[in-house]
Amino acid sequence: MSIALPTNRDENWRYANLRALGRARVDAAPPAVTQTAAALPAELPGFERWVFVDGRCIAPAPAARSSAGFARLLDAREAGEAFAAQLDSDLASAGVDFALARVNAARGDEVLHIALPDDSSTQCELVFVASAAAANGTSYPRVQLVAGRNTRLQVVERHLTASGDSDAVVNAAVDVALRSGAVVDHVRVQHCADKSAVFDTLVAHVGERAQYRLHTVTLGGATSRSTLFIKLAGRDARCELSAASIANGIQTHDVFAEIEHLAAGTVTRELFRGIANDRGKLAFNGKMIVRDTAHDADSDQSLKSLLTGSGAEAAARPQLEIHTDRVRAKHGATIGKLDEQMMFYLLSRGIERVDAQALLQWAFIEDAISRIEPPALRREIESQVLGRLHAVSALTGLLGEAS
Amino acid sequence: MTTLLKIENLSATVGGKKVLNGVSLEVNAGEVHAIMGPNGSGKSTLSYILAGRPGYEITGGSVQFEGRDLTALAPEERARAGLFLGFQYPVEIPGVNNVYLLKAAVNARRKELGQPEVDAYEFLQLVRAKMKLMQMDESFLSRGVNEGFSGGEKKRNEILQMLVIEPTLAVLDETDSGLDIDALKVVARGVNSLRSAERGVLLITHYQRLLDHVVPDQVHVLVRGRIAKSGDKSLALELEKRGYDWVLEVA
Repeated sequence: MSIALPTNRDENWRYANLRALGRARVDAAPPAVTQTAAALPAELPGFERWVFVDGRCIAPAPAARSSAGFARLLDAREAGEAFAAQLDSDLASAGVDFALARVNAARGDEVLHIALPDDSSTQCELVFVASAAAANGTSYPRVQLVAGRNTRLQVVERHLTASGDSDAVVNAAVDVALRSGAVVDHVRVQHCADKSAVFDTLVAHVGERAQYRLHTVTLGGATSRSTLFIKLAGRDARCELSAASIANGIQTHDVFAEIEHLAAGTVTRELFRGIANDRGKLAFNGKMIVRDTAHDADSDQSLKSLLTGSGAEAAARPQLEIHTDRVRAKHGATIGKLDEQMMFYLLSRGIERVDAQALLQWAFIEDAISRIEPPALRREIESQVLGRLHAVSALTGLLGEAS
Repeated sequence: MTTLLKIENLSATVGGKKVLNGVSLEVNAGEVHAIMGPNGSGKSTLSYILAGRPGYEITGGSVQFEGRDLTALAPEERARAGLFLGFQYPVEIPGVNNVYLLKAAVNARRKELGQPEVDAYEFLQLVRAKMKLMQMDESFLSRGVNEGFSGGEKKRNEILQMLVIEPTLAVLDETDSGLDIDALKVVARGVNSLRSAERGVLLITHYQRLLDHVVPDQVHVLVRGRIAKSGDKSLALELEKRGYDWVLEVA
């Protein structure tokens, strides 16, 4: 196999931790297993659940799949054809940014394809468990979402590892297409073991008046790298991207998000809230392109990082590339420490210092998760987030009051 | 009579600049003391030093709170010991819920006193009753701490916190500034409702008008970092008439 993998010398990969690519067997899928030792999260009521281990489907059972709504399993070859038939051919662009997605397409052998016919709606929960050790191969989850005209899709994509000390390597790829008037809520939660490495590439194509709302919550992984390409291709297409990330210990979380406005009246709302504790590292590179065909485009970027550890690092990079005069573009990026005045206010009310720190961290990141639906999922994510902040026990009762 | 607060010959600097220059003051249980003084005389500095705000260096003297060396305690320990600071400019903390903060503060204090945590239902009833006293809207409960509050609402919220926490000594830093007369009366009612034989209040104010509604036992005038004059409530009225220049001349 001769796909050149990205390195830190590549423009959009400077902050990524790519050591796992050298360590893992990135061109081999691990042997198939039929069950998982992982404790799966409680099922979300009303959601159709699919469970994959190391990229292969274990539930629902094969016999139950035919009746399983709009979702079906394809092999890689079928998936390629089915998807390419419905999308612009340029989605699978060349270049190093897509190298990992190409490895995924070449090595993964099961693709979950969810296609909603026009005017339909559904809710799906996709659970991807990585169980194999890095030395045995890489997991290749692959998902294709096609939301037909005026459809409503809620999809929850979870990534976890079978054990807490797993060094698994995941290379996921997700393709999303929204036809005109479709509304897709996509929540991605990465909660893998702290020694694992999780890479993903997401490409979305948003049609006329369609709305793509993507929430990402990144908590696990020694290294986590998300590469997002979102094309607002139809008039008045809208994208809301909210990304929350907490890097503890020596975790490195890196996001590259390119959103391209191709049509008139397209709108982007991009929000990043990241906390780097201990010696954690965070990077968010948000590139916004407004083409000359996208007059009256409206983009808003708010990227904020909080450093609480003495060895913590963060890089927030908003980039604007604008080819038309008729545009409204707003962007802001801040990297800071906990506000001293807020801190003193909480202390003066008798709150312990560690609790005050956790409380302010919570307040900081809450912006990026407060709109996650359904409420059951939001509560679960909130408690996972609290678990990642130091001194969680002191915050007992916070969720009941806050929500 | 129990002495709550005993400040002896206190001197302090901030950023190398001398801000307090030998302050001595004693507040007994059951008393309300007012500290008045011109701008820049060290009034707010004194409140921050009592609460333990970082950046202030004590260069001399001592502060005892119920017989303990207050300066040896961290800000959160002072609060749990029963000291409350009502801020002149309360900070907004979006994302931290008002009720959560109140509850955490009360439980921190109760833990210190060896009492169990508050019952959630009873606590909410208590907060609602105090809110009514402070004429605050119910929507306050679900909002972030001081988030989007007007100046007057922030001051009411400080007094509400004080009423719920029930401190032994409340230091109120210019709680009256920026309030219209109706809001001033509401705040005064809140402060008066806390007055008791066991508690003390230190009111820091620039104007006499709050003292019409919260009548102090003693009034002190702080000038250039020291107390230049002390007296009963009539001193405040005299200051109102003659201005601070009069004390400056005497000092």
